[in-house]
Amino acid sequence: MLLYTLTRLAYLAMVLVVMSILVFLVTQAMPGDVASMIAGQFASKEVIDAITVKLGLDQPLIVQYGRWAAGILQGDLGRSLVLEQPVAPILMEALSRSLVLAVVALAVVTVIGIGLGVLAAVRRGRLADQMVSGVSYLGIAVPDFFWAIVLVLVFGSYLKWLPTGGYAPLSDGFVPWASHLVLPVVTLVLMLIARIARLTRSSMIDVLQTNYVKYARAKGLPETVVIVRHALRNALLPTITVLAIDFGLILGGVVVIETVFSFPGMGRLLLFAIQRHDLPLIQATILIISTAYCLANLAADLLYAFVNPKIRHGMGNA
Amino acid sequence: MVKRLVARAVLSAFLLSGTALSAQAAGTLKVAVDSNLNTLDPAKMKGGQEYVAAYLLFNGLTAIAADMTLKPDLAERWEHSADLKTWTFFLKKGVKFHSGREMDAEDVLATITRIQDKATGSTARVNFEIVESMKAVDSHTVEFTLKSPYSGFAELFGERQARIVPRDGLDTLASNPVGTGPFQFVSFAPGDRMVVKRNPTYFEAGLPKLDEVVIRILPETASQVAALTTGELDLAWNLPPEAVDKVKATSNLKAEAVPTSTWDGVIMNGTTKPFDDVRVRRAVATALDKQAITQIALFGYGTPTHSPIPPSHPYFNKDLPIAKGDPAAAKKMLAEAGYPNGFEVTLYTPAGRATRERLGLAVRELLKPAGITVNVQRVPFDVFLKDIEGKAGFYIDGFFSRPTIDTSVYPWYHSRGSWNAALWNYANPAMDKLLDGARQATSEEEAKKLYGEVQALAVQDAPGVIPYVINHVNGVSARVQGFTSHPMMFLDLRNVSVGQ
Repeated sequence: MLLYTLTRLAYLAMVLVVMSILVFLVTQAMPGDVASMIAGQFASKEVIDAITVKLGLDQPLIVQYGRWAAGILQGDLGRSLVLEQPVAPILMEALSRSLVLAVVALAVVTVIGIGLGVLAAVRRGRLADQMVSGVSYLGIAVPDFFWAIVLVLVFGSYLKWLPTGGYAPLSDGFVPWASHLVLPVVTLVLMLIARIARLTRSSMIDVLQTNYVKYARAKGLPETVVIVRHALRNALLPTITVLAIDFGLILGGVVVIETVFSFPGMGRLLLFAIQRHDLPLIQATILIISTAYCLANLAADLLYAFVNPKIRHGMGNA
Repeated sequence: MVKRLVARAVLSAFLLSGTALSAQAAGTLKVAVDSNLNTLDPAKMKGGQEYVAAYLLFNGLTAIAADMTLKPDLAERWEHSADLKTWTFFLKKGVKFHSGREMDAEDVLATITRIQDKATGSTARVNFEIVESMKAVDSHTVEFTLKSPYSGFAELFGERQARIVPRDGLDTLASNPVGTGPFQFVSFAPGDRMVVKRNPTYFEAGLPKLDEVVIRILPETASQVAALTTGELDLAWNLPPEAVDKVKATSNLKAEAVPTSTWDGVIMNGTTKPFDDVRVRRAVATALDKQAITQIALFGYGTPTHSPIPPSHPYFNKDLPIAKGDPAAAKKMLAEAGYPNGFEVTLYTPAGRATRERLGLAVRELLKPAGITVNVQRVPFDVFLKDIEGKAGFYIDGFFSRPTIDTSVYPWYHSRGSWNAALWNYANPAMDKLLDGARQATSEEEAKKLYGEVQALAVQDAPGVIPYVINHVNGVSARVQGFTSHPMMFLDLRNVSVGQ
């Protein structure tokens, strides 16, 4: 297990290096540039050139990348060219908010989604199954921004129960902090729950037809024990993977939801950086998002290997 | 036992949060702006949202009041020589920066030197190119010598970027903006909020009235209006025209509107075909119905005009008719210019600026009957700045109010104007003569006559079409007292207080 973990961590480091080079090259190829952005309307070429030199953007690409990479290795994520502040604190603040959103939304999705999936599988073909399927189709078919706007209108504008957007730091008090999270979390849950419920249902149906489940039932074990202890543990393997991907997705920023709710998370930060060609901020944000994705996948794989020993012994075909 | 502990913890949290809410300063104003602030360094500011911060944290030597007159700010008075080339500013004594140090003449010199430095990238640099030299006469007197006579020099210090900053904190302004303003910086979380608190040593006695201002960044107008309705917000700065009716229709809200000289324009670059032919430019101007454009782009929250001089200005040329859109006459002009079947052209609009996008679409529809096929292309703003502005033939642009009539007109229409070459490349010796004459006009009548002719020539030569000047509208909660919208779109909160 330790060797397996170390190997996966080495892969992760390689992925991040390749990712950083790719991001660097893509941002260089983007039209427009940060010096023009800083100089603004009607700036003469002289002014733009002066800013370019000041920011070190006149150096060869390899030098610029080398400088940035050396900084990263020393734990320095660089300085935002537009905000003229170190990138790290800005990033950490956005990441911490997205993390709260991700953890709360994923917890709700995990509990309710798996519960609904199991219920639909056990009551296959009956009313409960059809209702879960109907709700799932609705969740998949309706786009997230629509849910978001409907929730704002109903609970924010009309009923006035919850804030319509923004974010309140915990220092403002627990209730303001929590109430600002409710609507974005509910939107995320509506967006993600359908997939989890459907996936759990289909894998649960497969597992319920296996011989060992039939054998457990034949032994006279109570149905709850059969489902929870024997069936669910194996049925959850594909769900774990999808949950890990969803976690990475939310951490990486759900731009539409963050925009509708004015939620200052990673998605809006990245959008801000891209719109302004703020290279160090783009690079660092994408690096953090990539790391989060990779770590979430690694956690899923380790959990998978923990649940299914075949995988860590190289016998899995996954 | 565990259950009981959890229940207690939750109850305590609720009680604590209630306390936290009620303990919030009674004089806290919550303001929304629609976009992130790129910088807190006033010299580098370019967006209206940033100017909001500039006027809370900093002062200029002079100030443009809500009635558009020039008032003393950090300078208690100023004098100029008879030839308008030497200007002396006498600073108020005892004005302190938020750091506690007294502001003096050296800070003024450092501020202007920094704006003049190309590497700073300040858009106000062109304003101060006219300065030949400057010196501190004593600790509270600054003297500027100009390259040429300029009657509007004192107004330049009321400009947005010319905020006086401390010479010993120039490099940290972006992260720690220290000024002399009515409020002092507390924190800024990019994308979320900026918090400022009352400056206890502010030099205007008894001001400001508020304890704290929280500026929240809420990009969605619908969220802003909903938050105003629920009381989460007290003021939404610069509401887009499409949101004004909704605010007006809500019982506890007011829409505080004020005419401005901020304008959008249809730019026709005179160095590109077919716009190098004045007949083509005139045809475009003739085909456009300005009243209809104002309705489409601004939902009526603006006023048709001839040039950047707004109809509310005493120098506005009332004798000049506002274009009503005559496609038949435009077709005839095009035929004379060698385009009997019209032509096809791409019109670029900066993406994400809804008003200018609507203006682009209005232009497309209004030019169709004249035989001009317009393909509207939205361009990301950074690309727009780099590749379109001053380079493309046909595009939509827009500009904030300027502090004086001269700074509103001269840079665009004079052949040596700082922004002319970066926009439409227009040159007419008659226009140059009028603008140079207006700079040295000795009476109101003379200035009014000359600027009247400037407007007539701007319409006749049509380097671009300026269809309207916009209204600046703030959405304000009934709790807010003492607030008026400023025609320069500044957010002046010195006299504002909030009721319970």
